[in-house]
Amino acid sequence: MRRMIATALAGAMALATAQASAAEKVTLQLKWVTQAQFAGYYVAQDQGFYADEGLEVEIKPGGPDIAPAQVLAGGGADVVLDWMPSALATREKGVMLVNIAQPFKSSGMMLTCRKETGIKGPEDFRGKTLGVWFYGNEYPFLSWMSQLGIPTDGSEGGVTVLKQGFNVDPLLQKQADCVSTMTYNEYWQIIDAGLSADELVVFKYQDQGVATLEDGIYVLEDALKDPAFEDRMVRFVRASMRGWKWAEENPDAAADIVLENDMTGAQTQKHQRRMMGEIAKLTAGSNGALDPADYQRTVDTLMKGGSDPVITSAPEGAWTHVITDKAL
Amino acid sequence: MSWGVVLGAIGFWLAAWALNAWLAQRTPKGAAARRAQRLVVPAIFGLSLLVLWEGITRGANVPTVLLPPPSMIGERFAASTGILWADFKQTFLQAVLIGYALGCGSAFLVAIAIDRSPFLQRGLLPVGNLISALPIIGIAPIMVMWFGFDWPSKAAVVVVMTFFPTLVNTVQGLQAAETMQRDLMHTYAASYWQTLFKLRLPAAAPFIFNALKICSTLALIGAIVAEFFGTPIVGMGFRISTGVGRMDIDLVWAEIAVAAVAGSAFYGVVVLIERAVTFWHPSVRGQRD
Repeated sequence: MRRMIATALAGAMALATAQASAAEKVTLQLKWVTQAQFAGYYVAQDQGFYADEGLEVEIKPGGPDIAPAQVLAGGGADVVLDWMPSALATREKGVMLVNIAQPFKSSGMMLTCRKETGIKGPEDFRGKTLGVWFYGNEYPFLSWMSQLGIPTDGSEGGVTVLKQGFNVDPLLQKQADCVSTMTYNEYWQIIDAGLSADELVVFKYQDQGVATLEDGIYVLEDALKDPAFEDRMVRFVRASMRGWKWAEENPDAAADIVLENDMTGAQTQKHQRRMMGEIAKLTAGSNGALDPADYQRTVDTLMKGGSDPVITSAPEGAWTHVITDKAL
Repeated sequence: MSWGVVLGAIGFWLAAWALNAWLAQRTPKGAAARRAQRLVVPAIFGLSLLVLWEGITRGANVPTVLLPPPSMIGERFAASTGILWADFKQTFLQAVLIGYALGCGSAFLVAIAIDRSPFLQRGLLPVGNLISALPIIGIAPIMVMWFGFDWPSKAAVVVVMTFFPTLVNTVQGLQAAETMQRDLMHTYAASYWQTLFKLRLPAAAPFIFNALKICSTLALIGAIVAEFFGTPIVGMGFRISTGVGRMDIDLVWAEIAVAAVAGSAFYGVVVLIERAVTFWHPSVRGQRD
């Protein structure tokens, strides 16, 4: 009798594992091109963390003019990485994005200016030309200017805004006095181009008190109602955070993994290892769960936008702990 | 999903189609009636398309970030006339018109130089061909680096795009005057320049206007696309690309409507000038009522 039960149990478990071994597919849309900013996900794929959870993840690199929120709305991905201001603004427009995890605790965004322009503090921005990214990345800047009371539409006592491409040429060619940079990417491009750190003045959004949450994991609200999808996301977030913590502990190896996955061949080891070092500073302190205090700070910053707020009303249900509670 | 609205829209479209078919077959007697017929048929067609669009997007609940209904676009248009006018001024009145004038004007002068010198003809035409083959997406960022972020770099892109078609068409046109006619001028002891202005340029006019018509649309496309690569925060291309990034799709469509109207109006003006200048050409004579 006991042998019969044991065999039956063994048979049932074999069936179960056979079913589980068919890996479930998940498509992730990155916010930018393959680089150490997304090391956690590449590490999770490379080190088999996704496979351990029974997932087969397709990582789609982003790039200029790819807005992750749009890709999600158009059905091109199951889960995307996006910055919170863009996600909240998109939510207001009717595409209901929900934050399910927040690997990045701190903001790496900053404005880098040439010292020779005489800019010493934010008030000196008036009358200067500033380069700003668009496509969803302009919200933190617009929010900051609005809070300082500096108009951006070209009127008196304001700043002239240039739609900056994703490079630092406007600063190098002196077409702009300041450009938007990330601590982990464009700032180092300026240094590599020959300018030294003492020729530059930087304003970190984190220090100015206008930082907003950056890379977070977002899905569509409706998709979360499906329990199978929710379960896939729990496993995805668990494996991704494992990947991030591994990357924080092994930055050089993580950078090398990212480099192997770079199909364009445009990234260099020096740049990626440096980037990974900087990214580790931004992910440190987060286990993946969104801190509601950080969320509230971001919402307050965006709503303090005065006459031109990025979002007009406090979002409801824009984030959930449902996934991270089960995953971590 | 409101079937009533969708079916109503489709019904309206079919009815308008039937009306148009009936109208198109009639041959009214008076000149005024004929002109009215020429205007009414396309107007009914356009209106029926708009109604169909509105009915399907509203009735089938198409998400507005994918395709907004025309009424929403119209509302946004009316609410943003300030922005749209500023964009129009930046792109059309500065980049397009100035680039068009410079591009076509310089091509015209080079064509006359080529006509004078066969050596230049063999040298310059292939180079012009090469320049016109450069993709805008490649030249635009380079122009931005050379000429700055503002409208001059966009005008430079328009110049590159409009140069070659005008050059080729003008060179072709200058060869259009027949040998008999040129011999006649020779018997009148006309100098090169007199022959050029009194015979060869008027004979070349149909070709030149052909190029000007093509370049009018190329110029607008070139200016808008060039603006995707670095602008101050005003301009039609800027508004379209950032509007898509912000999910402001109704503003994007309003901007597209402005571009469509501006492009058609520009083309129309060139056609009117052509009709006046080449009044002698059979294609223009035959169209007069």
